[in-house]
Amino acid sequence: MDLRAKTAIVGVGNTAQGTLPGRSANEIAVEAIQEALADAGIEKKDVDGLITCRNLRSREGIDEQIGHLMGLNPKYSATLDYGTGNFSLHLGVMAILTGLASTVVLVYGTNQRSAKADFSVAVGGGADMAAIAGLAHVAGPAAMAFRRHQHLYGTTEEQLGWVSVAQREWAQMNPLAIFKQPMSIDDYMAMDYMVAPLRRPDLTMISDGGVAIILTSAERAVDHPKKPAYILGIAERTALRAYQNLENLMRPWLGDVAKQLWSSSGLSPKDIDALYIQDATSVWVLQMLEWYGFCEVGEGGPFLAEGRTRPGGSLPLNTNGGQLSESYMWGWLNLAEGVRQLRGECGPRQVANAEVVLDCSTHDFLKGAATILSSHQ
Amino acid sequence: MMAYDKPLPDLENEVEAPHWQAAKQGRLSIQRCSQCGYLRWPPETICPECLTRGGDWVDLKGEGEIWSFAVYHRAMNPVFSDEVPYAVAMVRLTEGIEMIGRIAGPPDQVRIGQKVRAVFVPVTDEVTLVQWEPSA
Repeated sequence: MDLRAKTAIVGVGNTAQGTLPGRSANEIAVEAIQEALADAGIEKKDVDGLITCRNLRSREGIDEQIGHLMGLNPKYSATLDYGTGNFSLHLGVMAILTGLASTVVLVYGTNQRSAKADFSVAVGGGADMAAIAGLAHVAGPAAMAFRRHQHLYGTTEEQLGWVSVAQREWAQMNPLAIFKQPMSIDDYMAMDYMVAPLRRPDLTMISDGGVAIILTSAERAVDHPKKPAYILGIAERTALRAYQNLENLMRPWLGDVAKQLWSSSGLSPKDIDALYIQDATSVWVLQMLEWYGFCEVGEGGPFLAEGRTRPGGSLPLNTNGGQLSESYMWGWLNLAEGVRQLRGECGPRQVANAEVVLDCSTHDFLKGAATILSSHQ
Repeated sequence: MMAYDKPLPDLENEVEAPHWQAAKQGRLSIQRCSQCGYLRWPPETICPECLTRGGDWVDLKGEGEIWSFAVYHRAMNPVFSDEVPYAVAMVRLTEGIEMIGRIAGPPDQVRIGQKVRAVFVPVTDEVTLVQWEPSA
Protein backbone atom coordinates (compact mmCIF):
# COMPACT_ATOMS: atom_id res chain seq x y z
CA MET A 1 0.00 0.00 0.00
CA ASP A 2 1.30 3.44 -0.84
CA LEU A 3 0.86 5.40 2.37
CA ARG A 4 2.91 8.42 1.33
CA ALA A 5 1.20 11.63 2.51
CA LYS A 6 -2.14 9.88 3.04
CA THR A 7 -2.21 10.84 6.73
CA ALA A 8 -1.01 13.83 8.71
CA ILE A 9 -0.51 15.04 12.25
CA VAL A 10 -2.71 18.09 12.78
CA GLY A 11 -2.48 18.52 16.54
CA VAL A 12 0.14 18.12 19.26
CA GLY A 13 -0.28 18.82 22.95
CA ASN A 14 1.63 18.28 26.12
CA THR A 15 1.37 18.90 29.85
CA ALA A 16 4.08 20.37 32.05
CA GLN A 17 6.95 17.92 32.56
CA GLY A 18 8.85 16.83 35.64
CA THR A 19 6.96 16.27 38.86
CA LEU A 20 3.15 16.44 38.77
CA PRO A 21 2.17 15.17 42.22
CA GLY A 22 -1.33 14.14 43.19
CA ARG A 23 -2.49 13.21 39.70
CA SER A 24 -3.07 9.84 38.12
CA ALA A 25 -1.42 8.89 34.85
CA ASN A 26 -4.84 8.87 33.21
CA GLU A 27 -5.66 12.40 34.42
CA ILE A 28 -2.37 13.59 32.95
CA ALA A 29 -3.25 11.84 29.67
CA VAL A 30 -6.59 13.63 29.53
CA GLU A 31 -4.93 17.03 29.96
CA ALA A 32 -2.54 16.23 27.12
CA ILE A 33 -5.48 15.25 24.91
CA GLN A 34 -7.23 18.54 25.70
CA GLU A 35 -4.11 20.45 24.64
CA ALA A 36 -3.82 18.48 21.40
CA LEU A 37 -7.51 18.94 20.55
CA ALA A 38 -7.17 22.70 21.06
CA ASP A 39 -4.04 22.74 18.89
CA ALA A 40 -5.94 20.90 16.15
CA GLY A 41 -8.91 23.24 16.47
CA ILE A 42 -11.38 20.44 17.22
CA GLU A 43 -13.43 19.05 20.09
CA LYS A 44 -13.49 15.56 21.52
CA LYS A 45 -16.62 14.69 19.53
CA ASP A 46 -14.55 15.12 16.37
CA VAL A 47 -12.27 12.15 17.09
CA ASP A 48 -13.41 8.62 16.34
CA GLY A 49 -10.23 6.77 17.27
CA LEU A 50 -8.27 6.51 20.51
CA ILE A 51 -4.87 4.85 20.94
CA THR A 52 -3.29 4.80 24.38
CA CYS A 53 -0.19 3.33 26.04
CA ARG A 54 -0.20 1.24 29.16
CA ASN A 55 2.24 2.56 31.75
CA LEU A 56 5.31 0.40 32.09
CA ARG A 57 5.04 -0.21 35.83
CA SER A 58 1.32 0.19 36.50
CA ARG A 59 -2.07 -0.73 35.09
CA GLU A 60 -2.87 2.83 34.00
CA GLY A 61 -3.09 4.03 30.44
CA ILE A 62 -5.62 1.51 29.12
CA ASP A 63 -7.98 2.79 26.38
CA GLU A 64 -11.03 1.66 28.37
CA GLN A 65 -9.97 3.81 31.32
CA ILE A 66 -9.04 6.91 29.34
CA GLY A 67 -12.03 6.69 26.99
CA HIS A 68 -14.31 6.42 30.00
CA LEU A 69 -12.61 9.29 31.81
CA MET A 70 -12.91 11.47 28.68
CA GLY A 71 -16.50 10.53 27.91
CA LEU A 72 -15.56 9.07 24.54
CA ASN A 73 -17.21 6.25 22.58
CA PRO A 74 -14.80 6.19 19.62
CA LYS A 75 -15.40 3.82 16.71
CA TYR A 76 -11.93 2.40 17.20
CA SER A 77 -9.70 2.16 20.24
CA ALA A 78 -6.60 0.23 21.24
CA THR A 79 -3.86 0.14 23.85
CA LEU A 80 -0.24 -0.64 23.19
CA ASP A 81 1.68 -2.28 25.96
CA TYR A 82 4.68 -0.17 25.08
CA GLY A 83 3.66 2.67 22.83
CA THR A 84 6.58 4.89 22.02
CA GLY A 85 5.34 7.65 19.77
CA ASN A 86 6.16 5.74 16.61
CA PHE A 87 4.44 2.47 17.46
CA SER A 88 1.22 4.28 18.42
CA LEU A 89 1.46 6.53 15.39
CA HIS A 90 1.79 3.59 13.01
CA LEU A 91 -1.29 1.95 14.51
CA GLY A 92 -3.14 5.22 13.97
CA VAL A 93 -2.00 5.36 10.34
CA MET A 94 -3.30 1.82 9.83
CA ALA A 95 -6.64 2.64 11.47
CA ILE A 96 -7.16 5.60 9.15
CA LEU A 97 -5.98 3.91 5.94
CA THR A 98 -8.24 0.93 6.59
CA GLY A 99 -11.25 3.10 7.36
CA LEU A 100 -11.57 1.96 10.96
CA ALA A 101 -11.34 5.61 12.01
CA SER A 102 -10.99 9.00 10.37
CA THR A 103 -9.40 11.13 13.11
CA VAL A 104 -7.40 9.45 15.86
CA VAL A 105 -6.05 10.81 19.12
CA LEU A 106 -2.87 9.13 20.36
CA VAL A 107 -1.80 9.68 23.93
CA TYR A 108 0.81 8.86 26.52
CA GLY A 109 0.47 10.03 30.11
CA THR A 110 2.45 8.97 33.13
CA ASN A 111 2.96 9.78 36.80
CA GLN A 112 5.91 7.41 37.06
CA ARG A 113 8.14 9.92 38.83
CA SER A 114 5.64 10.87 41.54
CA ALA A 115 4.47 7.26 41.81
CA LYS A 116 8.11 6.20 42.27
CA ALA A 117 7.92 3.55 39.58
CA ASP A 118 10.73 1.02 39.94
CA PHE A 119 13.14 1.34 37.01
CA SER A 120 15.87 -0.64 38.74
CA VAL A 121 14.44 -3.82 37.33
CA ALA A 122 16.15 -5.55 34.46
CA VAL A 123 14.58 -5.30 31.00
CA GLY A 124 14.05 -7.47 27.96
CA GLY A 125 13.87 -11.22 27.44
CA GLY A 126 15.66 -13.18 30.16
CA ALA A 127 15.08 -10.35 32.62
CA ASP A 128 14.94 -12.68 35.63
CA MET A 129 18.42 -14.03 34.99
CA ALA A 130 19.74 -10.49 34.43
CA ALA A 131 18.23 -9.29 37.71
CA ILE A 132 19.84 -12.14 39.63
CA ALA A 133 23.24 -11.21 38.17
CA GLY A 134 22.77 -7.57 39.21
CA LEU A 135 22.27 -6.28 35.66
CA ALA A 136 19.80 -3.70 36.95
CA HIS A 137 18.28 -0.83 34.89
CA VAL A 138 18.70 -0.27 31.16
CA ALA A 139 22.05 1.39 32.00
CA GLY A 140 23.66 -2.06 32.32
CA PRO A 141 22.97 -3.43 28.86
CA ALA A 142 23.55 0.03 27.35
CA ALA A 143 26.98 0.17 29.01
CA MET A 144 27.78 -3.26 27.58
CA ALA A 145 26.69 -2.18 24.11
CA PHE A 146 28.86 0.95 24.25
CA ARG A 147 31.90 -0.89 25.59
CA ARG A 148 31.56 -3.35 22.72
CA HIS A 149 31.38 -0.40 20.29
CA GLN A 150 34.56 0.98 21.86
CA HIS A 151 36.25 -2.39 21.46
CA LEU A 152 35.24 -2.81 17.82
CA TYR A 153 35.71 0.75 16.55
CA GLY A 154 37.85 2.64 19.06
CA THR A 155 35.00 4.92 20.07
CA THR A 156 35.85 7.05 23.11
CA GLU A 157 33.82 8.13 26.12
CA GLU A 158 34.41 11.75 25.13
CA GLN A 159 32.91 11.10 21.70
CA LEU A 160 29.83 9.58 23.32
CA GLY A 161 29.70 12.57 25.68
CA TRP A 162 28.88 14.81 22.73
CA VAL A 163 25.42 13.22 22.56
CA SER A 164 24.47 14.61 25.95
CA VAL A 165 26.41 17.85 25.60
CA ALA A 166 24.80 18.70 22.24
CA GLN A 167 21.33 17.87 23.51
CA ARG A 168 21.90 20.04 26.58
CA GLU A 169 22.79 22.93 24.27
CA TRP A 170 19.50 22.45 22.42
CA ALA A 171 17.58 22.15 25.71
CA GLN A 172 18.77 25.57 26.81
CA MET A 173 16.57 27.00 24.05
CA ASN A 174 13.51 24.94 25.06
CA PRO A 175 11.33 26.31 27.90
CA LEU A 176 9.75 22.88 28.41
CA ALA A 177 13.10 21.16 29.11
CA ILE A 178 13.76 20.02 32.67
CA PHE A 179 17.58 20.04 32.44
CA LYS A 180 18.93 23.35 31.16
CA GLN A 181 22.05 24.03 33.23
CA PRO A 182 25.08 24.39 30.95
CA MET A 183 27.25 21.30 30.54
CA SER A 184 30.52 21.33 28.61
CA ILE A 185 32.33 18.23 27.39
CA ASP A 186 34.84 18.82 30.21
CA ASP A 187 31.97 18.90 32.72
CA TYR A 188 30.75 15.63 31.26
CA MET A 189 34.13 13.93 31.45
CA ALA A 190 34.59 15.10 35.06
CA MET A 191 31.46 13.29 36.21
CA ASP A 192 31.62 9.97 38.03
CA TYR A 193 30.54 6.78 36.37
CA MET A 194 27.09 5.43 37.10
CA VAL A 195 27.51 2.18 35.20
CA ALA A 196 30.89 2.40 33.48
CA PRO A 197 31.52 3.45 30.83
CA LEU A 198 28.29 5.53 31.22
CA ARG A 199 27.79 8.63 33.36
CA ARG A 200 24.70 10.37 34.73
CA PRO A 201 24.06 12.49 31.57
CA ASP A 202 24.03 9.33 29.45
CA LEU A 203 20.81 8.19 31.15
CA THR A 204 17.37 9.75 31.24
CA MET A 205 15.77 10.81 34.49
CA ILE A 206 12.26 9.56 35.13
CA SER A 207 9.55 12.22 34.75
CA ASP A 208 5.81 12.74 34.96
CA GLY A 209 3.97 14.23 32.02
CA GLY A 210 1.73 13.64 29.06
CA VAL A 211 1.80 14.09 25.29
CA ALA A 212 -1.00 13.69 22.76
CA ILE A 213 -1.10 13.72 18.97
CA ILE A 214 -4.06 14.16 16.60
CA LEU A 215 -3.75 12.18 13.36
CA THR A 216 -6.15 12.41 10.44
CA SER A 217 -6.37 11.79 6.71
CA ALA A 218 -4.62 14.11 4.27
CA GLU A 219 -8.03 15.19 2.90
CA ARG A 220 -9.21 16.32 6.31
CA ALA A 221 -5.83 17.73 7.39
CA VAL A 222 -6.21 20.94 5.43
CA ASP A 223 -9.33 21.84 7.45
CA HIS A 224 -7.27 22.19 10.63
CA PRO A 225 -5.65 25.51 11.57
CA LYS A 226 -2.00 24.41 11.82
CA LYS A 227 0.23 23.33 8.96
CA PRO A 228 -0.13 19.52 8.61
CA ALA A 229 2.84 17.23 9.17
CA TYR A 230 2.37 14.54 6.52
CA ILE A 231 3.52 10.97 7.11
CA LEU A 232 5.81 10.11 4.20
CA GLY A 233 7.07 6.73 5.36
CA ILE A 234 6.93 4.26 8.22
CA ALA A 235 8.85 1.10 9.09
CA GLU A 236 9.13 -1.35 11.96
CA ARG A 237 11.09 -4.44 12.91
CA THR A 238 11.13 -6.72 15.95
CA ALA A 239 13.74 -8.87 17.63
CA LEU A 240 11.38 -10.71 19.92
CA ARG A 241 13.81 -13.59 20.37
CA ALA A 242 15.81 -11.15 22.52
CA TYR A 243 18.95 -12.77 23.97
CA GLN A 244 18.58 -15.75 21.64
CA ASN A 245 19.75 -13.30 18.96
CA LEU A 246 23.53 -13.16 19.28
CA GLU A 247 24.94 -9.64 19.68
CA ASN A 248 21.40 -8.40 20.31
CA LEU A 249 22.63 -5.51 22.46
CA MET A 250 24.05 -3.88 19.32
CA ARG A 251 20.55 -4.07 17.82
CA PRO A 252 21.74 -4.65 14.23
CA TRP A 253 18.13 -5.24 13.18
CA LEU A 254 17.62 -1.47 13.38
CA GLY A 255 19.46 -1.46 10.07
CA ASP A 256 16.53 -3.44 8.66
CA VAL A 257 14.08 -0.77 9.85
CA ALA A 258 16.20 1.77 8.04
CA LYS A 259 16.35 -0.25 4.81
CA GLN A 260 12.58 -0.63 4.76
CA LEU A 261 12.07 3.03 5.57
CA TRP A 262 14.40 4.41 2.91
CA SER A 263 13.35 1.98 0.20
CA SER A 264 9.61 2.43 0.77
CA SER A 265 9.78 6.22 1.02
CA GLY A 266 12.29 6.83 -1.76
CA LEU A 267 14.15 9.15 0.60
CA SER A 268 17.65 8.96 2.07
CA PRO A 269 19.50 10.40 5.08
CA LYS A 270 20.54 13.46 3.08
CA ASP A 271 16.87 14.47 2.80
CA ILE A 272 16.49 14.76 6.58
CA ASP A 273 16.53 18.31 7.97
CA ALA A 274 16.21 17.34 11.64
CA LEU A 275 16.58 13.96 13.28
CA TYR A 276 14.86 12.64 16.39
CA ILE A 277 16.17 9.54 18.17
CA GLN A 278 14.50 8.15 21.24
CA ASP A 279 17.24 8.39 23.81
CA ALA A 280 16.64 6.37 26.95
CA THR A 281 20.44 6.32 26.93
CA SER A 282 22.96 8.24 24.84
CA VAL A 283 24.12 4.91 23.41
CA TRP A 284 20.85 4.60 21.51
CA VAL A 285 21.69 7.83 19.65
CA LEU A 286 25.09 6.47 18.66
CA GLN A 287 23.54 3.20 17.47
CA MET A 288 20.74 4.76 15.45
CA LEU A 289 22.93 7.40 13.79
CA GLU A 290 24.81 4.46 12.36
CA TRP A 291 22.04 1.98 11.63
CA TYR A 292 19.93 4.63 9.88
CA GLY A 293 22.88 5.50 7.68
CA PHE A 294 23.77 9.02 8.81
CA CYS A 295 27.31 7.70 9.06
CA GLU A 296 28.97 4.33 8.55
CA VAL A 297 28.63 1.71 11.29
CA GLY A 298 31.55 2.38 13.63
CA GLU A 299 31.91 6.04 12.61
CA GLY A 300 29.36 7.45 15.06
CA GLY A 301 31.97 8.57 17.59
CA PRO A 302 33.94 10.91 15.29
CA PHE A 303 30.65 12.05 13.68
CA LEU A 304 29.37 13.21 17.07
CA ALA A 305 32.67 14.75 18.17
CA GLU A 306 32.72 16.89 15.01
CA GLY A 307 29.72 18.70 16.47
CA ARG A 308 27.36 17.87 13.62
CA THR A 309 24.39 17.33 15.92
CA ARG A 310 24.87 20.55 17.94
CA PRO A 311 22.98 23.80 17.29
CA GLY A 312 24.38 25.13 14.03
CA GLY A 313 25.61 21.69 12.98
CA SER A 314 24.79 19.93 9.74
CA LEU A 315 22.40 17.39 11.36
CA PRO A 316 20.23 18.96 14.08
CA LEU A 317 19.43 16.06 16.41
CA ASN A 318 16.90 16.02 19.25
CA THR A 319 16.44 19.77 19.06
CA ASN A 320 14.13 19.64 22.08
CA GLY A 321 17.01 18.34 24.20
CA GLY A 322 15.74 14.80 23.80
CA GLN A 323 14.83 12.64 26.71
CA LEU A 324 18.28 13.18 28.20
CA SER A 325 17.63 16.90 28.80
CA GLU A 326 13.96 17.65 28.07
CA SER A 327 11.86 14.88 29.64
CA TYR A 328 11.53 11.09 29.57
CA MET A 329 8.34 10.64 27.55
CA TRP A 330 9.03 7.40 25.61
CA GLY A 331 9.95 9.46 22.58
CA TRP A 332 6.60 11.25 22.37
CA LEU A 333 8.08 14.70 22.92
CA ASN A 334 10.66 13.97 20.22
CA LEU A 335 7.75 13.32 17.84
CA ALA A 336 5.96 16.48 19.01
CA GLU A 337 9.13 18.51 18.48
CA GLY A 338 9.50 17.19 14.95
CA VAL A 339 5.98 18.38 14.13
CA ARG A 340 6.63 21.78 15.71
CA GLN A 341 9.84 22.17 13.74
CA LEU A 342 7.97 21.45 10.50
CA ARG A 343 5.49 24.16 11.47
CA GLY A 344 8.25 26.64 12.30
CA GLU A 345 7.10 27.07 15.90
CA CYS A 346 10.39 26.49 17.69
CA GLY A 347 11.66 30.02 18.30
CA PRO A 348 15.40 30.26 19.03
CA ARG A 349 15.98 26.54 18.37
CA GLN A 350 14.07 26.56 15.07
CA VAL A 351 15.94 24.71 12.32
CA ALA A 352 15.91 26.92 9.22
CA ASN A 353 13.79 25.49 6.38
CA ALA A 354 12.95 22.28 8.24
CA GLU A 355 10.77 20.40 5.76
CA VAL A 356 11.53 16.73 6.40
CA VAL A 357 12.19 15.13 9.78
CA LEU A 358 12.84 11.54 10.87
CA ASP A 359 11.73 10.12 14.20
CA CYS A 360 13.33 6.84 15.32
CA SER A 361 12.42 4.86 18.38
CA THR A 362 12.96 1.53 20.04
CA HIS A 363 11.36 -0.65 22.64
CA ASP A 364 14.51 -1.67 24.49
CA PHE A 365 16.03 -4.75 22.81
CA LEU A 366 12.83 -5.96 21.23
CA LYS A 367 11.50 -3.53 18.62
CA GLY A 368 12.41 -0.62 16.41
CA ALA A 369 10.22 1.84 14.52
CA ALA A 370 10.67 4.99 12.47
CA THR A 371 8.58 7.62 10.74
CA ILE A 372 9.40 10.30 8.18
CA LEU A 373 7.27 13.44 8.45
CA SER A 374 7.15 16.43 6.15
CA SER A 375 5.46 19.77 5.78
CA HIS A 376 4.98 18.81 2.10
CA GLN A 377 2.91 16.03 0.55
CA MET B 1 24.89 -18.40 56.09
CA MET B 2 24.02 -14.67 56.17
CA ALA B 3 20.63 -13.56 54.92
CA TYR B 4 20.74 -12.80 51.17
CA ASP B 5 18.35 -9.95 50.30
CA LYS B 6 19.01 -9.76 46.53
CA PRO B 7 17.03 -11.14 43.60
CA LEU B 8 16.82 -14.92 43.74
CA PRO B 9 15.46 -17.49 41.32
CA ASP B 10 12.04 -18.98 41.92
CA LEU B 11 12.93 -22.55 42.74
CA GLU B 12 9.25 -23.50 42.43
CA ASN B 13 9.39 -22.59 38.74
CA GLU B 14 9.57 -26.01 37.11
CA VAL B 15 10.94 -24.63 33.86
CA GLU B 16 14.06 -23.22 35.49
CA ALA B 17 14.50 -25.61 38.44
CA PRO B 18 16.86 -28.08 36.73
CA HIS B 19 19.31 -25.23 36.04
CA TRP B 20 19.45 -24.32 39.73
CA GLN B 21 19.62 -27.92 40.89
CA ALA B 22 22.63 -28.41 38.62
CA ALA B 23 24.29 -25.19 39.79
CA LYS B 24 24.04 -26.41 43.36
CA GLN B 25 26.02 -29.45 42.25
CA GLY B 26 28.61 -27.34 40.44
CA ARG B 27 27.32 -27.88 36.90
CA LEU B 28 26.20 -25.35 34.24
CA SER B 29 23.13 -26.92 32.70
CA ILE B 30 20.78 -25.60 30.01
CA GLN B 31 18.08 -27.05 27.79
CA ARG B 32 18.63 -28.83 24.51
CA CYS B 33 15.70 -29.64 22.28
CA SER B 34 15.08 -33.39 22.20
CA GLN B 35 13.90 -33.08 18.58
CA CYS B 36 16.22 -30.64 16.79
CA GLY B 37 19.09 -30.30 19.25
CA TYR B 38 18.83 -26.50 19.56
CA LEU B 39 20.51 -25.23 22.74
CA ARG B 40 18.29 -22.71 24.45
CA TRP B 41 18.90 -20.12 27.12
CA PRO B 42 17.13 -18.76 29.14
CA PRO B 43 14.89 -21.74 29.98
CA GLU B 44 11.56 -21.95 28.19
CA THR B 45 8.77 -24.51 27.79
CA ILE B 46 8.97 -24.75 23.98
CA CYS B 47 11.85 -24.98 21.52
CA PRO B 48 11.89 -21.68 19.57
CA GLU B 49 13.28 -23.43 16.49
CA CYS B 50 10.99 -26.45 16.00
CA LEU B 51 8.29 -25.78 18.65
CA THR B 52 8.75 -29.12 20.38
CA ARG B 53 7.64 -28.94 24.01
CA GLY B 54 9.99 -29.73 26.86
CA GLY B 55 13.62 -30.57 26.20
CA ASP B 56 16.60 -32.32 27.76
CA TRP B 57 18.98 -30.73 30.23
CA VAL B 58 22.62 -30.96 29.25
CA ASP B 59 25.78 -29.81 30.99
CA LEU B 60 27.95 -27.26 29.23
CA LYS B 61 31.71 -26.97 29.59
CA GLY B 62 31.26 -23.78 31.58
CA GLU B 63 33.82 -21.98 29.41
CA GLY B 64 33.60 -18.93 27.24
CA GLU B 65 34.89 -15.43 26.65
CA ILE B 66 33.69 -12.00 27.60
CA TRP B 67 31.71 -10.34 24.79
CA SER B 68 31.27 -7.14 26.81
CA PHE B 69 30.69 -6.02 30.37
CA ALA B 70 29.29 -3.20 32.50
CA VAL B 71 30.77 -1.99 35.77
CA TYR B 72 28.25 -0.80 38.34
CA HIS B 73 29.72 2.08 40.32
CA ARG B 74 26.22 3.02 41.43
CA ALA B 75 23.93 0.16 42.37
CA MET B 76 20.93 0.91 40.14
CA ASN B 77 19.10 -1.64 42.27
CA PRO B 78 19.93 -0.49 45.84
CA VAL B 79 20.11 -4.04 47.21
CA PHE B 80 23.47 -4.41 45.44
CA SER B 81 24.95 -1.29 47.12
CA ASP B 82 27.31 -3.30 49.32
CA GLU B 83 28.98 -4.84 46.26
CA VAL B 84 29.89 -1.80 44.10
CA PRO B 85 31.94 -1.62 42.05
CA TYR B 86 30.95 -4.91 40.46
CA ALA B 87 31.01 -6.16 36.87
CA VAL B 88 28.31 -7.99 34.96
CA ALA B 89 29.34 -9.57 31.67
CA MET B 90 27.77 -10.98 28.57
CA VAL B 91 29.68 -14.24 28.15
CA ARG B 92 29.89 -15.99 24.77
CA LEU B 93 30.05 -19.67 25.66
CA THR B 94 32.12 -22.12 23.64
CA GLU B 95 28.83 -23.78 22.72
CA GLY B 96 27.82 -20.56 20.92
CA ILE B 97 25.16 -19.05 23.16
CA GLU B 98 25.35 -15.82 25.11
CA MET B 99 24.70 -15.70 28.86
CA ILE B 100 24.58 -12.79 31.29
CA GLY B 101 26.57 -13.37 34.45
CA ARG B 102 28.33 -11.70 37.32
CA ILE B 103 32.10 -11.54 37.31
CA ALA B 104 33.38 -13.10 40.53
CA GLY B 105 35.96 -10.76 42.03
CA PRO B 106 36.99 -7.16 41.39
CA PRO B 107 36.14 -5.57 38.02
CA ASP B 108 39.42 -3.80 37.29
CA GLN B 109 41.08 -6.73 35.49
CA VAL B 110 38.09 -7.57 33.28
CA ARG B 111 38.47 -7.07 29.53
CA ILE B 112 36.61 -7.97 26.34
CA GLY B 113 37.82 -11.23 24.82
CA GLN B 114 39.04 -12.60 28.15
CA LYS B 115 38.60 -16.36 28.59
CA VAL B 116 36.40 -17.14 31.56
CA ARG B 117 35.04 -20.20 33.32
CA ALA B 118 31.94 -20.73 35.40
CA VAL B 119 32.24 -20.72 39.17
CA PHE B 120 29.47 -21.73 41.50
CA VAL B 121 28.74 -19.39 44.38
CA PRO B 122 26.30 -20.49 47.09
CA VAL B 123 24.28 -17.48 48.34
CA THR B 124 21.64 -19.28 50.43
CA ASP B 125 21.25 -22.81 51.70
CA GLU B 126 19.10 -23.55 48.64
CA VAL B 127 20.53 -21.36 45.88
CA THR B 128 23.91 -21.45 44.17
CA LEU B 129 24.52 -18.80 41.48
CA VAL B 130 26.63 -19.22 38.37
CA GLN B 131 29.33 -16.55 38.12
CA TRP B 132 32.41 -16.17 35.94
CA GLU B 133 36.14 -15.80 36.61
CA PRO B 134 39.20 -15.47 34.37
CA SER B 135 40.50 -18.87 33.33
CA ALA B 136 43.92 -17.84 32.06
